[in-house]
Amino acid sequence: MLKKMNIFQRIFYAFCGEGKARKLRTSIFCILASMVFGGIILLLLGKNPIVAYKSLLQGAGILPKIKYPGRKNQLTDILNLLDYTTPMVFASLAVAVALKCGLFNICVSGTMIFTGILATTLVGYSNLDPFVARILVVIIGIVGGGLLGALIGWLKYRFNMNEVIVSIMLNYIINYIASFVINSRYADPISRESVEIGQNARLTLMNFEAMGLKMNISLLFPFAILVVFLIDFLMKRTKLGFELKSVGTSPLASKYAGMNVKRTMILSMVISGALAGLAGVAYYLGTYGSIQPRVLPALGFDAIAVALLGFITPIGCFFASILVMIFQCGTSYLSSRLGVLREIASLITSILLLFSACAVYFNQKADSYHNKFLMEDKSDE
Amino acid sequence: MEDYFVQLKHITKTFPGIVANDDVSIDIKKGEIYALLGENGAGKSTLMSILFGLYEPDGGQIFIKGKEVSITSPLKANKLNIGMVHQHFKLVSDQTIAENIILGAEPMKKKWGFIKSIDIDRANKEVAELSKRYNLEVNPTDIIKDIPVSTRQRVEILKMLYRNAELLIFDEPTAVLAPQEINSLLEIIKSLRDNGKTIILITHKLDEIKQVADRCAILCKGKLIDILDVKKASTQQMANLMVGREIELEEVREEVKKGKVVLEVENLSYKDKDKVSKISDVSFKIYEGEVLSIAGVSGNGQVEIADAICNMIRATSGTIKLNGKSIDHMNIRERAEAGIAYIPEDRQNVGLILDFPLYENLILKEYFREPYCSKHGILNFNEFKKQSNELIENFDIRSGKGCETTVRSMSGGNQQKAIVAREIALNSSLIIFVQPTRGLDVGAIDNIHNKINELRKQGKAILLISLELDEIMALSDTILVLYSGKVQTIEDAKNLSKNQVGEYMMGVHNNA
Ligand SMILES: Nc1ncnc2c1ncn2[C@@H]1O[C@H](COP(=O)(O)OP(=O)(O)OP(=O)(O)O)[C@@H](O)[C@H]1O
Ligand SMILES: [Mg+2]
Repeated sequence: MLKKMNIFQRIFYAFCGEGKARKLRTSIFCILASMVFGGIILLLLGKNPIVAYKSLLQGAGILPKIKYPGRKNQLTDILNLLDYTTPMVFASLAVAVALKCGLFNICVSGTMIFTGILATTLVGYSNLDPFVARILVVIIGIVGGGLLGALIGWLKYRFNMNEVIVSIMLNYIINYIASFVINSRYADPISRESVEIGQNARLTLMNFEAMGLKMNISLLFPFAILVVFLIDFLMKRTKLGFELKSVGTSPLASKYAGMNVKRTMILSMVISGALAGLAGVAYYLGTYGSIQPRVLPALGFDAIAVALLGFITPIGCFFASILVMIFQCGTSYLSSRLGVLREIASLITSILLLFSACAVYFNQKADSYHNKFLMEDKSDE
Repeated sequence: MEDYFVQLKHITKTFPGIVANDDVSIDIKKGEIYALLGENGAGKSTLMSILFGLYEPDGGQIFIKGKEVSITSPLKANKLNIGMVHQHFKLVSDQTIAENIILGAEPMKKKWGFIKSIDIDRANKEVAELSKRYNLEVNPTDIIKDIPVSTRQRVEILKMLYRNAELLIFDEPTAVLAPQEINSLLEIIKSLRDNGKTIILITHKLDEIKQVADRCAILCKGKLIDILDVKKASTQQMANLMVGREIELEEVREEVKKGKVVLEVENLSYKDKDKVSKISDVSFKIYEGEVLSIAGVSGNGQVEIADAICNMIRATSGTIKLNGKSIDHMNIRERAEAGIAYIPEDRQNVGLILDFPLYENLILKEYFREPYCSKHGILNFNEFKKQSNELIENFDIRSGKGCETTVRSMSGGNQQKAIVAREIALNSSLIIFVQPTRGLDVGAIDNIHNKINELRKQGKAILLISLELDEIMALSDTILVLYSGKVQTIEDAKNLSKNQVGEYMMGVHNNA
């Protein structure tokens, strides 16, 4: 059968066709395909794609750079990468948990701003003991996000409102209220962002000095890994996870089985919201430290595609987050080395996310090849 | 050389863990009604799906009118004049009958000479003509969701005819119909044959085969066992061949003494969203060791009674008592825990989660309690599988990969067996069976009937809702006949003949 296909179809089929580890192969196909596309664009710009991708990896700390500025080396780059990845892990998990229960949470961005501004104003400018302050920030992230998720779930439950529309509206409402608060009380006159929070509440240790290096260490990253495993366990092995999946797959059969469908939906939104809230504090009180008014973080929307790239499984979300963040972190180095615009890396990332959203289509396409070529082969015999 | 329409030669199809079709060869003559008979999971639907282009065979050839073809998609099957009515209809419920029929083969017209648009008037006219020609009465402008199942089936048939199908495949068409409707469908099938069409009919009901089919192929575990000339074979012979053992078509019932009242329904009424009354003022009691059946033409409120007892729908008024205690305030789970098992009518959307593995479906009603779930909410899948394997064994549930099989890939009859197994295993004091044997083969039906008799002997209260009068007559102690949501009569089964029940079902008498 393979003989009949042309070379492209053969490669396509090898990645997306039926067989073992199909999801993984399809993901790898999406990644490679987007890199090929990006490569073509780079070629059109007169740049060498190999060099470009290498410098992307160098910029993200995966490969060593040629030279480093003082007190930096590959380790500091990797730590940066992990720092940037942490909020994405939480955000993509937030999307995945809701999707498993058949709900579409696009309020991740709004929730991030919500917990970001809450934690910033309540703890960020205080002079609490660092240990207490950081614990408080994390708790605010979880509880604040959870409450917001509960609100969305409850509106759906009580008034049968569509969670997507509620989410979109909440994004606007939170965004404008947050800008109002920042502009009226906390704006930094120079940057026009909120005043940077104190180091005691910061979830990333900035410029931490050790081994003669200055590093940014994300305190939340180990917690993110733990959460990935927790959510994985929750989905696979617990009663709640079983109910979430069941309601997400067939609400009617779940009702018949005696599950409380509406309560389960609210719960999944609470968990999803709490994860989004964690993403918010990891982003605004970790990686950054201040909030830009009137801007919804793009990360909250990218997380949807990242969750899809990770096939809506926690472990998949984790690796997809790292991958996407490699692209984003390597960008500056890439653009300075090759003299291309920064946007080129974002472009490749976007192509990747576009491809990953088509994963199911690719699988179907491969199946149809399978049918077509297998059958033609038969009738020739 | 006879004039064959289809020849299937050495068709083989394997799924992971199972050979669904094993070297099957059948030839179907032009203008005959060819029946396929076989146990649940024998591979009938698979064979027809291959002929209709839904699956590709692993080996074998298909000839249409003597020419070898490869059927890679239903579209291609349509081009070869092959049509199929699936067991689960595939219609767009918000569109009219005519729109559904022309879908994908729309007659076009040009507006103002150049803008192409669908010529809906012509479509309506063509559909009306077609329905007149084949005696399939439908109103082309009715909306699908407003018409009953039997009319939908006619729409499916018209859909095939509109595409000039010459070979019509029916996959268990009678499983969804009431007895009167079955007769008229069989008449339709016969008249289609007389109009020169070739027909393949899958059914588990031997008398239907006897009534209309010319020849009958028997499949067993994927293999072709025999091809019979229907006129020369007896139903008993067909049944034995199919199951591979002697089947007793007559059932024996022992006397069982009634015990305490288990279920007491009083003045139950239910109005749907549009305030249409579906059941009004229904009262009855079921005792330990009693089988009470509700007979009635499909859609007269039987299913609503079952749903209201389990709280799948909320009764508008009335009280329900289980074992002497009111359960009106209880939710679905609480009622199930109090002792109600329920085999619902819609096995695919209600009774099962099709994309979950069999072992999760078999424990769907008990997953939350020990030993399946610890006090801390952690599931123990080993226990799931242990219990599942036991049920699979006891109820002869057949599938490719045992308890790991995704339910969606199981044959229709085996899906049904899974639900029945799960609900009986709950060991509840009341068991509600809605159409428990729909889509099952004779052997499996026999099995389930024996189970019902056994449960009755154990002192369970059983509520049986069925469209099959024979089933009701064979199993019941008491028969309740329902007509447009009202009780026509409740009577000891011994005092009623099949004909009398039939008359009550049509609302002719009223005893209540
Ligand atoms: N898509 C599939 N994937 C895996 N196994 C399948 C698939 N479709 C069918 N099977 C298996 O093939 C066997 C034959 O199934 P099929 O649906 O043809 O049976 P059937 O004769 O129509 O039975 P029934 O009378 O119960 O409808 C079954 O054991 C079923 O589990
Ligand atoms: Mg079948």
